[in-house]
Amino acid sequence: MVRLSDLPDYERDHLLSKNMPPLGPPVWTTPTKPLNQMRVALITTAGLHYRDDQAFDFADATFRPLDGGENPDNLIMSHSSVNFDKTGFTEDVNVVFPLTRFHELVNQGTVGSLANVHYSFMGAGLLPQAYESGASQVAGMLKQDKVDAVFLTPV
Amino acid sequence: MQPPRALWVPFPLGRPLGKADDAPFQQSVIQAALNLLHRQTGPVLEDYPHDAPAIDNETPATCPVSFATKTSEPASWKTRLSREIGELAPWYELGRRRRGGRSLVGIADASPQQNIQLLGEQLDNQALPTDFVWLKRAVEDIKAYYFEAMTAQPGDYDRETIHKQFWRDTQFGAAVLSLYRQLQNSDDDRQKMIARILAPREAIGAAKGPLKEKKT
Repeated sequence: MVRLSDLPDYERDHLLSKNMPPLGPPVWTTPTKPLNQMRVALITTAGLHYRDDQAFDFADATFRPLDGGENPDNLIMSHSSVNFDKTGFTEDVNVVFPLTRFHELVNQGTVGSLANVHYSFMGAGLLPQAYESGASQVAGMLKQDKVDAVFLTPV
Repeated sequence: MQPPRALWVPFPLGRPLGKADDAPFQQSVIQAALNLLHRQTGPVLEDYPHDAPAIDNETPATCPVSFATKTSEPASWKTRLSREIGELAPWYELGRRRRGGRSLVGIADASPQQNIQLLGEQLDNQALPTDFVWLKRAVEDIKAYYFEAMTAQPGDYDRETIHKQFWRDTQFGAAVLSLYRQLQNSDDDRQKMIARILAPREAIGAAKGPLKEKKT
């Protein structure tokens, strides 16, 4: 998230107008094992998917599975918002979806392992409640994948 | 939203890890976030204390293509847009080769060259597109093509300068802003919604006076 002071007035006002009530009580889990024994998944709201997946619609609460074994350079972005910069992602997937960085952490022994499947949503145009069904579905699949922690990257 | 552990980062929207192709910096951001796992109480919202490394901007950014027109004769949107995307083609290809063949172009079914011609024809005929899925995907694909060409120049590029050049200097930027204005002025809510996902607030705010085509 950028500093509000770095934004033009109209962009700052737009973001401040999105003041929403808290989304239920905070969720908290204390890890039961060190990071080097944890299995980590990545989830992004950047609207990423593979070229042969269906692109995200203008407002879309569905998600796309991202294969942990596939080259992340094959990912493209169909996020409908035009109000953030996409040139960084064009240059380097890791600036949005740092799968290569996490492979490095596994190889160094800092992180135990990575999930078989990671996930991409498109965070735009809908209230949080619209994502409840997809988020619950993803939570179930993360459990099946024995994931201990999730690294979220919004754009 | 109150996520259990959140690291606030001061980077531009669209770059949550800070800087492209800077693995050590990206790792420092990840490490700061992972350190929050060991907190015993929450929710946690912590500030990341460093800005992204500055780009080398000792040399003023030069766009690889001059968007100045080569003729004083008035030309149609179709002609101007086709000429412009043609001039960008070698830079787009150079950028794609440099990234090992990677490109974000390809959301739309037809090529950017085909879509830009179709958009030009519609602007020339003063006919608003009615297939909004096609319109959005065509515009995003063509924008990706332009940005990939414009950032193919050697050395670092300045994100803000590239975006300003696109919206201020290119025929295609002017075409999208023209479409934005026509859709935004409609009485149809769906057309207004489509307008909002064609052009960024930053470009609309920067456009002075009535939006119109670039002079030839």
